[in-house]
Amino acid sequence: MSQFLEFTVLGLILGSVYAISATGLVVTYTTSGVFNFAHGAVGMIAAYGYWELVTHHVPGALAMVLVVLVAAPVFGVFIEWLLMRRLLGDTGERPVMVTLGLLAILIGLALVLFGENRGDTLSPLVNGTIRILGVGVTAQDLVIAGSAAAIAAALRVLFHSFRLGVALRAVVDDPELLATAGASPVAMSRTGWVLGSVLAALAGVLLAQQQQTSLDTYTLALLVVSGFAAAVFGRLRSVPLTYAGGLVLGLAVVYFGSYAQPHLGTLGPDLSAALPMIFLFAALIALPSVRLRAVGRLSTLRPPRVATGWESLIAAGAFCLVALACSMTLTGTVAGGTSSFGVILDHTMAYGIVGLSLVLLVGYAGQVSLCQFAFMGIGAFLMGKVAGGGSLLGLLLAAVVCAALGALIALPTVRLRGLYFTLATFAFADAAYTGIFPDTRVLGQGLNVGQIVLPGLSFGSNRAVFLLLAAAFVLTALLVLAIRRSLLGRRLVALQDSPAAYATVGLNAAFTKVAVFAIAAGLAGLAGALYGTAAGTVGTSDFDIFTGVVFVLFVVVWSVRTVSGAFLAALSFAVLTHVWTNGVGLFAGAGIVLVGWTPNGILGIGPLARLVPERWIGRRHRATGDAGSLVGVVDGREGEIRAAG
Amino acid sequence: MPPADAPAAERPAHAAGRPVLEVRGVAVHFGGVSALTDVSLSVAAGSVTGLIGPNGAGKTTLFNVVSGLQAPNSGTVTFEGRDLARMPPHRRARLGIARTFQRLELFGTLTAEDNVRVGLESSIRWWQWRRLRASFPWAHDVSGDGARAAGSRVVSLADRLLAGVGLAGHEDQQSSAMPTGNARMVELARALAMQPKLLLLDEPGSGLDEHESEALGTLLLQLAADGMAVLLVEHDMELVMRVCDRVHVLDFGHVVASGSPDEIRADPRVQTAYLGAPSGGARPPGGGR
Repeated sequence: MSQFLEFTVLGLILGSVYAISATGLVVTYTTSGVFNFAHGAVGMIAAYGYWELVTHHVPGALAMVLVVLVAAPVFGVFIEWLLMRRLLGDTGERPVMVTLGLLAILIGLALVLFGENRGDTLSPLVNGTIRILGVGVTAQDLVIAGSAAAIAAALRVLFHSFRLGVALRAVVDDPELLATAGASPVAMSRTGWVLGSVLAALAGVLLAQQQQTSLDTYTLALLVVSGFAAAVFGRLRSVPLTYAGGLVLGLAVVYFGSYAQPHLGTLGPDLSAALPMIFLFAALIALPSVRLRAVGRLSTLRPPRVATGWESLIAAGAFCLVALACSMTLTGTVAGGTSSFGVILDHTMAYGIVGLSLVLLVGYAGQVSLCQFAFMGIGAFLMGKVAGGGSLLGLLLAAVVCAALGALIALPTVRLRGLYFTLATFAFADAAYTGIFPDTRVLGQGLNVGQIVLPGLSFGSNRAVFLLLAAAFVLTALLVLAIRRSLLGRRLVALQDSPAAYATVGLNAAFTKVAVFAIAAGLAGLAGALYGTAAGTVGTSDFDIFTGVVFVLFVVVWSVRTVSGAFLAALSFAVLTHVWTNGVGLFAGAGIVLVGWTPNGILGIGPLARLVPERWIGRRHRATGDAGSLVGVVDGREGEIRAAG
Repeated sequence: MPPADAPAAERPAHAAGRPVLEVRGVAVHFGGVSALTDVSLSVAAGSVTGLIGPNGAGKTTLFNVVSGLQAPNSGTVTFEGRDLARMPPHRRARLGIARTFQRLELFGTLTAEDNVRVGLESSIRWWQWRRLRASFPWAHDVSGDGARAAGSRVVSLADRLLAGVGLAGHEDQQSSAMPTGNARMVELARALAMQPKLLLLDEPGSGLDEHESEALGTLLLQLAADGMAVLLVEHDMELVMRVCDRVHVLDFGHVVASGSPDEIRADPRVQTAYLGAPSGGARPPGGGR
């Protein structure tokens, strides 16, 4: 019994940690309509700032005030002005992308300024231990638990009892309506970002003090991820429910780790790390479906022109020649390792295929997925395990199993709003990365994937493997372009433009979404299998969730609506990860600022846009029908459509 | 081509009069606000039925109930005798219910032609490989003449539908860049591409000039003459009175009057609720063009 009490107290304290970060998320969401993936990163920067001040002999309390009440509000105002203002009311993929970019840039900054981690810990603001119910609790833990409860109570009062709070909540519902009621949506959104930053900074400093390990950039920035489940439990709106969700989650994690995990033993992978994400997935599935509505908001985006069949064939031919020329520089066998130029080439092709899957998914269908790297990992795993590794069967299974898995994930979640769908993909990616891949029976530190052997062809040399990857990339690019120009492509774009109209012309939106997600997952699995076979050995770190998120940003920065965008993203990503690792996040973050101005990415600006003409060129047979022949057209349609098939 | 003002008697006898859509006692509440209260009406095949009423009377809500975007709190909607309750929008559309939207719901980043093509190809299912394959670009670009012809037939059909609503020459324009009147006609062409049995038109005439409006009226009469059931929400009284066989007047979620255009014009309740002017003017004050 005393053990149970101890676990309960521990669980409540852990729950308070989740609750603090989750309420901050909810505040930003309710006041600006933006789900801030960078919430934890703001806290991480605040913790580092606090640490710097304290090591320069600023008293702890003063440092806390400076960081939480001075620096954080300024930061909030700055972020709102720089990034968020032009996205107010945007329902597309850009707000999510911009906060992910902010996450990347803050982590990049921290890596450059402070390194991956600091050897020393922050000393807590208050010292001492208190015994509650016979359990020893540090004063710092009590401060955290108290703060979590106080913040939740204060926010609840603010949102429901003050005019400001009510106006703040109205921003997310309808900024235009709020403006007509005399309040400025921009001012409200700014207030929301200030409030959110303050809470993030407070959480960051408190949690960094509580962490018994050293200050770690990734740990701090992604600490809030566990809070996602609590925030979704509160439906991103209710502060009290979020607080309760945090406590329940904390208890569940502690109870599971203490009671269930020991009995599971070595049967399954260590699930306790993945538990918050499993929780998040469950909370998402429990959400009500989004109601199909005619919103009357016309998509005015001018998409880049889609290449015609001949154009793409010519481009593919040219690409093959360049790939052939590049392959001439490659020597040696896969087993003997390759030059870093060779690695960059291989990675460009493999990432390129993942980029193409994102063009299909994000660019055409408007579904943001953050788990393509998880599918890559699964693809590499299958390639390494099936039939002794490196078999054609493994390659096929990588695509097929990932597609099936994609459909399985999409089935319960496509009915949700776009943001929730993205969160579900994030939950899957995180669960795979923290819970499944590290298991030595899956990927662990390294899994030997083996060289691919196709019937009659051996791919032992670096040159041959690169050419195989290049061929796969070109074929995938042709496939993606062909899909775009087929009725499937028209349907994907139509679905993104107007789900209500899509349904009222007789098309099943849920089915289309599941199908495109499955296709994209299959492509990512294929890319993972090829990546594995080129690398020889892959480990968990190859499919890092954060790297996967940053890669999505790269594609969006270059242009998520074109095949060239996917290629340039893969190339720059492969080069940067080899040349300047810390710069990867900075590039993505800096680029994403641009996306606020140009929705089509770098390839959509100025002179570059003229290279990719925005005008749609029709070179098709024109009809000869006159205005009066409509009824005849309607009559004849059925027969003609049949004949067309 | 039948004359513009074809009298009802000349329409095919098999179609006219058979009720396609029946709305019985439909009520919709948003929180405490009643958008529709006990609305009943029917729409017959081969006729144009008008639905008029001031803004906020519940016309668009009724369209949403019929097309499945809004679940009613009570009441039934039947289409060709089938109860539509719980049927999702896309299945209703497959039964033959097409609609346009008052606030445009175009596929904005697609061209006018591709908007219509999505409608034309909507009957193609994912497992129908042959038909699917015909839509792929290599059918036009790199393969033989047979496939090319099959693919281009859909294109030419789309273009003829666009020409039919007066948009010949606008095929390659991005639909979100079109003026409202043209954009409405793209929606109409897209709806017609589905070959519907019941066509719900939500203010198709707004944004059209006098000539276009007249052509629209002619088109609606032709569609009805061919057996289609048309339910028309419109503020342009001239158009309503010219093309409708029956008119229902909706006010504050109630049907306050139903009858022929002449009866409606003469009904004093309608004049107070909607037309305003006691002289029986055909236009709402300031509302006509």
